[in-house]
Amino acid sequence: MSEVVSPPPLSQAPPPEPIPEPVRGIHIVLRRWTRQIFTGSEDRLFLFLAILIGIFSGLAVVCFRVAIEWTQFAVLGSTLAPTAPRVFLAPAICGLAIALLAIKVFPRSRGSGVNQTKAAVYVLNGYIPFRTVIGKFIVCALAIGSGQSLGPEDPSLQMGAGIASAIGRALRLSQKKIRLIAPVGAAAGLAAAFNAPISAVVFVIEEVIGTWSAGVLGAIVLSAVSSVVTMRWFLGNDSLFRVPPIQLAHPAELLAYVVLGIIGGLISLVFLKWLAYARPRVQQLPTWTRYLQPAVAGLFVGLIGIKLPQVMGAGYAVIDQALHGQFTWKLLIILALVKIVATGISFLSGTPGGMFAPALFIGAMLGSAVGAMEHHFFPQLTVTTATFAIVGMGTFFAGFLRVPITSLFMVVELSGNYSAALPVMVSSLIAYVISRKLQEVPLFDMLTRQDGLLLPSIEERREQVSLIAEDAMQVDTAIVADASEPVSLLATRIAKLPDSPLLIRMRAGEWRIPTREDIIRIAADHAGTHNAGDVPSKGPLPMVFPDESLEEVLRWAGDWPYLPVVNRGDLGKLEGVLSLADVLRAFRRAAEE
Amino acid sequence: MKSDVGVAVAEHPSEGLPLFQRLRSLESSREIVLTICFVLILFLFAITALVSRLYHKKVHSLGDEWFSKGEAALRAGQVKAALDDYRNALVYSPNNSVFQLHLAQALAAAGRLDEAASYLTNLLAESPGNGELNLELARIAVRKNQIVDAMRYYQSAIYGVWESDPLVRRWNVRRELVEYLLGHGDVNDAQPEAIALAQEVPAGDLDRQRTAGEFLLRAGLWDRAREEFQSVLKFDSRDAEALAGAGTALYQVQRYPEALLYFNRLPHEKRVEPQIANMIENARAIVSANPWAAGLSAEERARRTSDALMAAVARMSDCAHEHGESLSETPAVSDFQNFYATSQDMARDWSERNLTLHPDRIDAAMALVFQIEDATAQRCGEPTSGIDNALRVIEQLREKALS
Repeated sequence: MSEVVSPPPLSQAPPPEPIPEPVRGIHIVLRRWTRQIFTGSEDRLFLFLAILIGIFSGLAVVCFRVAIEWTQFAVLGSTLAPTAPRVFLAPAICGLAIALLAIKVFPRSRGSGVNQTKAAVYVLNGYIPFRTVIGKFIVCALAIGSGQSLGPEDPSLQMGAGIASAIGRALRLSQKKIRLIAPVGAAAGLAAAFNAPISAVVFVIEEVIGTWSAGVLGAIVLSAVSSVVTMRWFLGNDSLFRVPPIQLAHPAELLAYVVLGIIGGLISLVFLKWLAYARPRVQQLPTWTRYLQPAVAGLFVGLIGIKLPQVMGAGYAVIDQALHGQFTWKLLIILALVKIVATGISFLSGTPGGMFAPALFIGAMLGSAVGAMEHHFFPQLTVTTATFAIVGMGTFFAGFLRVPITSLFMVVELSGNYSAALPVMVSSLIAYVISRKLQEVPLFDMLTRQDGLLLPSIEERREQVSLIAEDAMQVDTAIVADASEPVSLLATRIAKLPDSPLLIRMRAGEWRIPTREDIIRIAADHAGTHNAGDVPSKGPLPMVFPDESLEEVLRWAGDWPYLPVVNRGDLGKLEGVLSLADVLRAFRRAAEE
Repeated sequence: MKSDVGVAVAEHPSEGLPLFQRLRSLESSREIVLTICFVLILFLFAITALVSRLYHKKVHSLGDEWFSKGEAALRAGQVKAALDDYRNALVYSPNNSVFQLHLAQALAAAGRLDEAASYLTNLLAESPGNGELNLELARIAVRKNQIVDAMRYYQSAIYGVWESDPLVRRWNVRRELVEYLLGHGDVNDAQPEAIALAQEVPAGDLDRQRTAGEFLLRAGLWDRAREEFQSVLKFDSRDAEALAGAGTALYQVQRYPEALLYFNRLPHEKRVEPQIANMIENARAIVSANPWAAGLSAEERARRTSDALMAAVARMSDCAHEHGESLSETPAVSDFQNFYATSQDMARDWSERNLTLHPDRIDAAMALVFQIEDATAQRCGEPTSGIDNALRVIEQLREKALS
């Protein structure tokens, strides 16, 4: 915990020196300003920090992108199709340097960055060393710039999280806040890298945090927006690709997207299965081979790049070409399949770099290929291949990374066109379902589990059924008496049902529990004069609504023998009663199911 | 004081202390960390600005460099190399509309029409009124034989925005449209465009007037074409193209004597051009065979009628001979035999001398000529030249005059 910073005793202080006027002015303003921030709640400081983190992350991402480009100019040249010797040798030679840096200097920079951030949140209380940020920056710039088939988004996400973590630690935030601040930075990094703040916010919530907490959401949105603004300040407003106008001319065209969804789902499954199969085997290789793996991957990628230079690097320019129908459907299929191979090799070799850009690349190629084929066989279709390409990106993204909501927002944000929303919903849902059905564990969860970490699976959490009061309550078992009911009558009723829960409705919204003994006693002593409301009782009882979660109900269930479950529209209407035993029984039943 | 964020912060810890000690007292406090953060942000902003400036400069120069290479390659006829260079240029300047347009043009030149159209459509979405983009798309639609799209894009190009010489560029686009429509046989659509083309020619621009006249001729707008050529001739009365055009326009509206006036003014090399020579020959034949032409003497009318009758009977005889039919068969059964019999019966009444004495017989004699020519045309096809062709035209002129 932090220490108390106390001033030295005034008596021991030397005589004060005169402070120059300008310094005094700044000092006063700074003091007033900081006091406003610090004397407020931690939430206010957290929101303020979110903006700060966004700016830092935006600046980092700008420099990162420039570094990648410059590396590419230096290593591969400025052309889309570099000369064969460069293509063949550059990734391999850089691979040696990458291995040395990633193993010896920046050991935490390996991997894509998403699961490392998630691990930092759940295992290390949000701790990401700043060295990792520097390592990620240098090693990924070298890897992606030299043509390894990886992308800059996931590393940007981790860099943002690392910056946030460093700021949080420097400010000595509480552990809870440091744990939360890493995703805030992650969203900022991803938003700046993608130039798509909504997608970044949704991805971080969907994949890293897993819950829609209002407090964190505000900070995440602020950081994402400020990082994108910072990034655009320097690199402009242009999105990653120029998307031609797209439109859905006829609802029947959705059938074409169903086909795309099936193909996208199956191909993403193949990629996932391959990574799941190959990664443990690569990890079992002797330790010394880790020094050579990135170089060997570079050789493979370079070999592919001699014939198909399009698969090298992040591939945004190639996606742009696909969006403009620059490739035949045969070449598109080849590019998609070869990119899977190249990305798999680069990733399995432990070369740091992200999977977002390759996933978008493969999706765009697949989408364009399906679109071009459908055009070929059904020329009456009016959809452009660009529409298929953009929907294909979302489809593969949903199938491969298993983030269907992010996919939807990403496509809408990248295309700047809501017409794409419907096709991508259809297509990505199909891809997601196929992938979910045939590969139980999503990519990032699979990677962390292979590394021996058992982080909470957001997908599993998302699909968990939340139990509600309705699932546990007893219906039609309770004896309900209005306050005005004669106590003698109530005594007769309870005598017939000796085991039923007993409730008195004083008025709508006020329920109480009497004891049977009191009712019987008062009925015997004052049969003609007393009503149910006059019987001594416990209450008022907390009310439960049928749709309320059982986790919430547990907060009060132990304090009372049973609780009334009432209708939200009529607080005097009893839907059922609920005891602690009922709640526990419901949980047990759900676990067994 | 202990803040609610879990970190203890001294309340006014540095009141009355020297600056150095105050700074020490702030060590590890949030104030100092935030101050450092702000200083760092300013520093990083400056660094990033410098880095991004250098980067943009480099990227722009690379884009321009590749574009220049592309232009050079295209000029040298190396379309594939130009395509690669333009693509490289676009990597560094992806939203540069000039680069995109040139890439699209190179793609179209390479026959990759769908790809070119994709780029152009993208550009068009950003500036829908751009004349050049619409024109390129129109040309692609023409090559893909998409008539409706071609028309739409041409019209958009005509009424679109052009950066330089908008009037000339629009006129040229319309000329291309008319050319396309006429080439496609769509005369109905071509006619209003050809008229608009002529209307938009600035006064005194003889070249464009001649061109407009040609299109009007091809669109079958004879009178408008004649007017266009005549207005050229007002500036240059010996303009061969205009003389030929005006003559042709008059020839097409069967104003043969006036057509000959223009044709006769043509230089020899123009007159011997097959099409014009044919029109001159036909016009002369018609003018010289028409017995109803104004200003003829009675002898001349009689001579022309007599010649017409002889020519018609001769063609009918040839036709009958081709079909193995004898005209002198009695009793006459076929049309030919009847006509022949009538011509023989009337030979004395319709002799040149009698026709001179009785010019009222000319109409009856010519009526038989026209009947013979009709029947012969039905059986042996329309005559293509010579007096028989002239007689067919004279028949039409006569019907028109009488109606």
